[in-house]
Amino acid sequence: MLLDEFFAPRILVVSGKGGVGKTTVSAALALLAARHGRKVCVAEVDRKGTLARLLGGRELTYEPNELLPGVWGLNIMPEEALGEYLRVQYHMRRISRAFTSTHFVDYITTAAPGLKDILVLGKIWYLEQGRGTHHRFDTIVVDAPAAGHMKNFLSAPAGLSDAVQVGPIRRQAEWLRAMLTDPARSRIHLVTLAEEMPVTETLETVTAVRDEVGLSTGTVFANAVYSDLLTRDEEKTFARLADSKEWSSFAAAGKSAGVKLDDEDVQALAGYHDFLEARRAIQTSHLRKLKREVQEPVAVLPFLFSAGLELPDIETLADVVEMRIDEQ
Amino acid sequence: MNPIAELVAKKRIIVCAGSGGVGKTTTAAAIALQAALMGKRAAVLTIDPARRLASSLGLKELTNDPVRIPQRKFSSAGLEANGELHAAMLDTKTTFDNVVLRYAPTREQARRIIANRFYRNISGTLSGTQEYMAMEKLYELHSEGDYDLIVIDTPPTRNALDFLDAPRRMTDFFESRVLRWFLIPYMKAGGGFMRVANVAAGTFLRLVKRIVGAEVLDDTAEFFGNLEGMYDGFKQRARDVARLLQSDATSFVVITSPAEDSVTEAAFFASRLNESGLPFGGLVVNRVHPKLGDGIEVRPRQLDRLEKGDATGRLLAKLLDNESAFMRVVELEEKNLDSLARRIPRHLWVRVPYLEREAVDFPGLASVAQQLFAESGGNVSARYRTPRPKPRS
Repeated sequence: MLLDEFFAPRILVVSGKGGVGKTTVSAALALLAARHGRKVCVAEVDRKGTLARLLGGRELTYEPNELLPGVWGLNIMPEEALGEYLRVQYHMRRISRAFTSTHFVDYITTAAPGLKDILVLGKIWYLEQGRGTHHRFDTIVVDAPAAGHMKNFLSAPAGLSDAVQVGPIRRQAEWLRAMLTDPARSRIHLVTLAEEMPVTETLETVTAVRDEVGLSTGTVFANAVYSDLLTRDEEKTFARLADSKEWSSFAAAGKSAGVKLDDEDVQALAGYHDFLEARRAIQTSHLRKLKREVQEPVAVLPFLFSAGLELPDIETLADVVEMRIDEQ
Repeated sequence: MNPIAELVAKKRIIVCAGSGGVGKTTTAAAIALQAALMGKRAAVLTIDPARRLASSLGLKELTNDPVRIPQRKFSSAGLEANGELHAAMLDTKTTFDNVVLRYAPTREQARRIIANRFYRNISGTLSGTQEYMAMEKLYELHSEGDYDLIVIDTPPTRNALDFLDAPRRMTDFFESRVLRWFLIPYMKAGGGFMRVANVAAGTFLRLVKRIVGAEVLDDTAEFFGNLEGMYDGFKQRARDVARLLQSDATSFVVITSPAEDSVTEAAFFASRLNESGLPFGGLVVNRVHPKLGDGIEVRPRQLDRLEKGDATGRLLAKLLDNESAFMRVVELEEKNLDSLARRIPRHLWVRVPYLEREAVDFPGLASVAQQLFAESGGNVSARYRTPRPKPRS
């Protein structure tokens, strides 16, 4: 697939179960788009998260600010989105703090479930339309709520149209619905781990957002997958040496290259090999199930051997994402 | 002694808290399973609609009322339970209905509340409701269920701290000055918001009406009207729940992974528990990469020579590369955990290594429990064996 095609819809929604690396993938997609000359905005929704740290450290606010050259970020808080909505829609200049207090927002979003999501999606619509901002973004990456809430989040416009029969908000909900269901404008990418629960949830989410919400589904990213270590022949050699306890041949091979290996070292080498293979065996079976049951292309992203992700790791992931898109 | 085992022996309630994706639900179930093995009548209450937990317990689904796990599940996993294991999953709406039924002065009033649309929305969407009802259900099981130990996991809030604030946020909501400020004049005026004397409240009402419609206002006014006279009951119950959580019978266990975000949140959470007067009892660090050896020193030039050498040399080069990659992860995890140790002393920790299998069935869950309750909490050594292909017959 051409990169231009991947980035053709301006809005990329990224979602998945908690802890699978949604934010990491969102950051990598943003970097990739920026590398290819797009002006990118990446949006975090209703939380103080890790996105800012991954992309250089500036804290995210409701106003987009530039985190890296070409990459802008913002945090969409429902309270502030309501404030902006009232200013834009009702031309209210001075908004009483009561209107944007947590209790009022809680009240109004309870009275009309889905309104919170509408406010957040509404901000994305403002960004897409270039309203309330002097920026014109080519790509808007939405680091969306966890998959459990995803269906509600995306179907809020449809749900609200039923609950609220008249008025401007109903019309606006329909605009949002149009934005989400137009494949030329929005596409959703899902992130998962090659583990049982995340895969099961991904299969459910992908069907729900595609068939029930009517969104265009893009790629399913299988994150943190261990890469192959040994070739099949090497695996056989390893098994033979391990089974016959011929560790001495490793020590000898090491010695010839000037590497001193004692028994404990060799045990560690074998142990980490076995650990990797045990994890890989689990991942492989889930990955197979995912690829078999999902219609969308599956892009495998590598496990990065660094527990605290930072910008260089995101750069690496962006490289891989580019390769994977190219292969599709 | 293993700090979590100590809690199982002494406490009546264990609350498992932590950020998403760190294995809270599985850990909670494993703790309850262990309690059953130790002869207790134990229950696990899960908040997360985790079907895997149900299937790992051999059930089709979990419900709001606890179900007993049959003894044969234990025996099929080669275990003997002297106690009992029960499992339930929170149903927020049903629990809330029970609360209303308990505190409404008349059944008719309860019926009106339960039929109210605003009320139905609350149980689905108002933030804090699920957490509040989790505590309510916990209290109910504790006072009526005759369990020796109840283990509860906390809702999948992205930020575990939300959990502590949520119940208060919910009760505050009911008593909110903002709401009363504009709803009471509305109710007094018999729903005719145009007749409301307070100008500011009038503006407010018109705006709400324009955003969500007049019907919604009527629903809300009716709801809050019916709720009058029930606040004292709610508040008393909230106080009882708070007292139970702060008592000696309860302990909070924080679950984390060695990842930086998760560790930061765990430390913060533990200190917040402290500030709130809630008893912190132990820490479970899940998904720790095993530390094997002390690291092997190899220079790039040596690695290069191996790669250019014979088959064994090339194989060794790859294994060395793999070892150094894992050691990097292990070191980073150690660094994160060291910073956590400055906040939470290590004798309160249990470290659970990555498991060879997932807890997808009862034996899987039992092996999680086995790791969790291994004799020495601090250092569980893991043995990883590659599954070798079976010879074809």
